[in-house]
Amino acid sequence: MTDLALAVRGVSVQFGGVHVLDSVDLSVRSGEIRGLIGPNGAGKTTLLNVVSGIHAPGRGDILLDGTSIRGHKPSEIARRGLGRTFQTSRLFRGMTVLENMMTGLHRRTDSNIFSAGFRSRRAMAEEREAEHAARKSLDFVGMAQFADRRGTELSFGQQRVVEIARTLISEPKVVLLDEPAVGLSMNRLAEFDLLLRRIRDEKGVTLILIEHVIRLVMEVCDKVTVLSSGRVIADGDPNQVRNDPQVIEAYLGKELRARYSAS
Amino acid sequence: MPMFCRRNVLSGLFILALGVPAFSNAYQLFVANLILIYVLLAIGLNVLVGYAGQLAFANAAMFGIGAYATALLQVHLSWPFYFAFPAGTLIAMAVGLLISLPALRLSGLYLALSTLAFAQFTQWVFSHWDNLTFGAGGFKSPPISFAPLPVSKPVGLYYLSLIVATCVTLFAQNVVASRIGRAFVSIRDGDVAAQSLGIDLLGHKALAFGISGFTAGLAGGLYSQLLNFVSPEGFDLFQMVIQKATIVVGGLGSITGSVLGAGAIIIILELLREAKGAQEIVFGGVLILFVTFFRRGIVGSLQQHFRGWDEPLHSARPIGSALPSQVRLGEKESLS
Repeated sequence: MTDLALAVRGVSVQFGGVHVLDSVDLSVRSGEIRGLIGPNGAGKTTLLNVVSGIHAPGRGDILLDGTSIRGHKPSEIARRGLGRTFQTSRLFRGMTVLENMMTGLHRRTDSNIFSAGFRSRRAMAEEREAEHAARKSLDFVGMAQFADRRGTELSFGQQRVVEIARTLISEPKVVLLDEPAVGLSMNRLAEFDLLLRRIRDEKGVTLILIEHVIRLVMEVCDKVTVLSSGRVIADGDPNQVRNDPQVIEAYLGKELRARYSAS
Repeated sequence: MPMFCRRNVLSGLFILALGVPAFSNAYQLFVANLILIYVLLAIGLNVLVGYAGQLAFANAAMFGIGAYATALLQVHLSWPFYFAFPAGTLIAMAVGLLISLPALRLSGLYLALSTLAFAQFTQWVFSHWDNLTFGAGGFKSPPISFAPLPVSKPVGLYYLSLIVATCVTLFAQNVVASRIGRAFVSIRDGDVAAQSLGIDLLGHKALAFGISGFTAGLAGGLYSQLLNFVSPEGFDLFQMVIQKATIVVGGLGSITGSVLGAGAIIIILELLREAKGAQEIVFGGVLILFVTFFRRGIVGSLQQHFRGWDEPLHSARPIGSALPSQVRLGEKESLS
């Protein structure tokens, strides 16, 4: 069981009377890149929010690396090694790119108000190491030249890449990416599969991504899970999922499915 | 490093402050001491509001609690000032931590309202618990003696204030330049993202409230000695407005801004004393001028026009970029 980086077991979420997630199961092996697709309103982002602790699941359990994280606070789940990015840019606007990156190291550093206030030798050493790690991590995603710029000066796509780096810097085990390719320039999009693979291979991170750029999902994901109306309707390798009649129906509707399979 | 940079200017101000008692009259020394007290208040409030983004209105009350606690320990229990002052400061800090408890669940306007309610409650206690606080008329607190040091009380208190204010400024500057300052700003700029990076919201909010309570307590203890008189009206809503004005005019999210803002506001208020009835009106006009044309405060303007004024977490903003998010009234992040 321990080779499962993340396991979602029978998770249900209701908002008012609406079942946003209906006994969803998801098993992601360590080192896997998993795609999460589905039409709008399928519950993909809600699933990420439940896993990262922003919403509590009504029913079911979530295991990170074999231990239940159900009911834990988001910051606690993050400290256990789960990172995530959001659909929109969540860079801290008052900070430079470098300061944003160093904020990502929060859980890996431990100077307190006294050691920081009195500039203890250890706190200063930690600060230097944090800066070094931040620059290295920016370099990893090819954004080193933007270190001293403000987040708001970057393009939307650049901000998203910095956010990914900010998540990676604390060496999480699992990272959830919510539509990471939105806003990327064509050039960057072309390199993006490579970046995702490098994150998996060089950092040993398990990735789960929601993505609408289907080409990217097909290229890079080992397995794809399809959500529709809060339920998992397909789960398997990309090609198998692509031809699943239920998936086609969920995206295109019944009528078009008939035409699609006829042609 | 250019001559007119942040470090040089602050050092210059410090040297100037050292010499104040030598060339000023009693009134000027009083104003200088008042400025030092407001530097303490502004730094604590700026950590809470400008850095951590918590729109709280309890600072005047904590200032009052520091003053009352320091003075009452001297009056009722005959404690010497040197015990009463730290004890009063710790009491104010404890109260700051206590009001952070409900505040941890509230944000924006709700936090503003609940802390305002707390401030009103404190006013009521100051005015009506006659046996403890001597009621609305206030009371006299015994002046400290600096013997055997060869200094008069005003000069001694001034240097004590200068030492405290300088230490707090340096300490605060170091804290905000560390992972703690970054955690504060991350909570201000996006609490959902902050949590996803493993930052504990409640712990850091409580810490920010504790820091502001601590500095307000220090300021209160010194203030009770500056006037040797404590009464409720010194800690009312107008006091809160003055303190907010110091950080808005100086620059939100900047320790240097807190220092410059405290100096500017106190000097403006004292100059306006001449204008008697017009004091409030002109003061209001100055505030409107600042929030309209100098939204980033004195420090923001200095950063725009001179080199060497950048601070950690508060660097020059490129022209044309968005206004600071700083405090967003009641705006909750969407979770998508």
